[in-house]
Amino acid sequence: MNFKYLFNRIFDLSIVLIGVSIIVFSMIRVIPGDAVAIMLGANTEITQEGMNELRSRLGLDKSILEQYFIWIINIFKGDFGTSIWTGRPVISEIYINAWPTIELTALSVIIGASLSIPIGCFMAISRGSFSEIIIRVAAIAGLTIPSFWLGIVSIFLVAKFYPGFIALGYVPFFESPSENLKRMILPVFTLSLPMIANLSRLVRSAMLDALSQHYIRTAKAKGASQFSVVFKHALRNALIPYITSVGVSVGYLLGGSIVIEQVFAIPGLGRLVLGAISERNYPLLQSSILVMTAAFVLVNFFVDLLYAVIDPRVSKDD
Amino acid sequence: MKKTFLSYLAIVIFCLGVNNSSASTINVAIDSSPAGLDPHLITAFNSVIIVQNNIYEGLTNIDSDLSVNPGLAKSWEVSSDGLKYTFNLHTNVTFHDGSKMDAEDVKASILRVQNKDMASPLASRVSPVKSIDVLNSNTIVLELNEPFAAILSSLAGIAIVPSEFQNDTEALQKIPVGTGPFKFDSWQPNSHIQLNKFGQYRTEGLPKLDSVKVSFVPEAATRQVGLSNGEYDILPGVDPATALQLQANPNVEIYQTRNLSYTLLGMNTTREPLNNANVRKAINLLLNRNEIIQGALFGAGVPGGPLSPALATWALDTNNFSCYTNDVAEAKKLINEASIKTPIELEILVLPRQDAKDISQVIQQQLNQGGFNITLANKEIGEFVQDWKNSDFDMFVSANGGNPDPDQYFYRTFRTGGSTNVFKYSDNEVDTWLDQGRKSTSTSERKSIYDKVQQKLACEGPISHLAYGDLSTAVNKKVKGFEIYATGRLASLISVTK
Repeated sequence: MNFKYLFNRIFDLSIVLIGVSIIVFSMIRVIPGDAVAIMLGANTEITQEGMNELRSRLGLDKSILEQYFIWIINIFKGDFGTSIWTGRPVISEIYINAWPTIELTALSVIIGASLSIPIGCFMAISRGSFSEIIIRVAAIAGLTIPSFWLGIVSIFLVAKFYPGFIALGYVPFFESPSENLKRMILPVFTLSLPMIANLSRLVRSAMLDALSQHYIRTAKAKGASQFSVVFKHALRNALIPYITSVGVSVGYLLGGSIVIEQVFAIPGLGRLVLGAISERNYPLLQSSILVMTAAFVLVNFFVDLLYAVIDPRVSKDD
Repeated sequence: MKKTFLSYLAIVIFCLGVNNSSASTINVAIDSSPAGLDPHLITAFNSVIIVQNNIYEGLTNIDSDLSVNPGLAKSWEVSSDGLKYTFNLHTNVTFHDGSKMDAEDVKASILRVQNKDMASPLASRVSPVKSIDVLNSNTIVLELNEPFAAILSSLAGIAIVPSEFQNDTEALQKIPVGTGPFKFDSWQPNSHIQLNKFGQYRTEGLPKLDSVKVSFVPEAATRQVGLSNGEYDILPGVDPATALQLQANPNVEIYQTRNLSYTLLGMNTTREPLNNANVRKAINLLLNRNEIIQGALFGAGVPGGPLSPALATWALDTNNFSCYTNDVAEAKKLINEASIKTPIELEILVLPRQDAKDISQVIQQQLNQGGFNITLANKEIGEFVQDWKNSDFDMFVSANGGNPDPDQYFYRTFRTGGSTNVFKYSDNEVDTWLDQGRKSTSTSERKSIYDKVQQKLACEGPISHLAYGDLSTAVNKKVKGFEIYATGRLASLISVTK
């Protein structure tokens, strides 16, 4: 792997982060509604002077451009700001809320990525058979069903038929692994289903493509077993688009987790962001979106590197 | 390979079957995290139900039937002129931090609420308190600058905090320190707040529970399923539609009480033609309150005037209000006489809550029958609050909590310049009555004053009071001893068992 490739990727990464920081920063301020007024709620005792003082204490009386640069400069100093409502450092709020989301995303990626390979291979091998058609229809359904609907319906269904099985909310893994995993089953199912559907379709077509190549015919001709043909020869070549797609899926999972965390009452980044929007909690929102974007960009950055490792042509061409 | 996987699966399934602790914990599910826990700063329902009566107590206490009972003060005497209140405090009260509560803490707490820099929304409740004298560690005298009949019920809402927090506006928002039966343990943002039994509570044997967990569960369907299967024990303040569904569930019991809170149509009296009292009266004539209750609230509510029918001593029956009989012809006549051009174009700002949205659609259709052309503005909560506060609306549909004493509601809402008089309503007669009602300590005299106030406000005031809802709380049947309070507070948790 050459350094130019690495450098280019890092350059792209910083451009994306700067762009996102500007968009998030300005968008939250364009929404009508005043952070200070929302924080005070129905409290009408506070005077205009009191509100102005609060506003200046929170740094909201400065010009937007000034606020932006203060925020960015502080980030480079390691200070992501202070949550307007709780008064706690934003970074610690993100830290607390990140674990459930990381766990949810990681489990969904593992389940989604590992199940989609055998399913996709099966679909490719048994193309046109009755069971393959059933799986294909199910995959399309899995792709099109919105996850919040699936989440709510699965809660209702499981509650109806296995009432003892339902567990809602979140328990940290190290507090009680069994309670933690029990609470992860339904959300992970809901989150990974569209991913399984998407990836297995991708594996299927990549496999079909690979299976029709000459080297497969050669492999078959030299007497390699069906298993070896499929998993050793075809799959390896079908893997490159698959890995890229897994990386992109992480972004969708982070987005999907906003809804799923809401449905399953999981205290993750999605709920942190949603809460920050309705509170107009500018520092919290800006920094958590930035961190989430950075995470997504980094995952794809590593996927790109992996891609280059699997297929050395990539870095040379770039 | 296959075997390892199966045995791993077996272990997982085994773990899932293991029951957790046997300590008695109640899990209360509410829709969102509170903004803070300082009892002198909070206004939102989801803060109040956690804090009041569970973590904090006041000198007095409002009972489930809204009567005023002793709280941290075991008794009190009132001087004959109604200006001096002497409170005798319980002697065995300890704060959660281990320090003893005495009269100095009471004094500091009231001063804290009065402090301008605190900007406490409760300030008006103790504004008539002129001086506070600590006679000894267990006796305190409040002197009022004028008689203030509502002081005893107002004091129930003034939580007593340790005196060292008198000038601290921040610490208690995150870590509350009170005298109540439950002690704050931890707060997981977006997840839950945990309260534990306070071992040194002033009444021996209470509370009966070991802990209370308040979970924040944004999705209504999730709360509902969680209650049915025992994950959650109590859902406070369920909406009428959900209450109906849960009623059918054999594991769930619905507790209901007539609520102090109400839905309302507010009018900006600085805007044409709402500045005209006859137009406001015409609007009341056009409203069909029973239709609103059936159509938007699933029948869960009753029509009412400016005071909740739950306040039996004070509230006038709606028969007394001529404008409560739906009469389109009469309304049109009033508008015609005021020579106002129709259709009258007005916008209703709608609180982003299901009941308010449903109600405003019914109202839109009812008012349009009488020569109005109403548009609905559905805004997000932040915008709603801002417009409400800046009086930037023609009309709005919203919901309010209620107060046990008429003065607490009327004075700030309808007095010229009152702190929540966002309608900019100003009427000399009403101002005079409200001042008199505040000063008088004779219940019968106050009753006749507030009768006049209600009579006038019902038809011509800046608020059309629509319906007083039923407060429903859904409780899992495993919970014993739950009692519902009309104030909406979870005050019975102290004696609940599971």
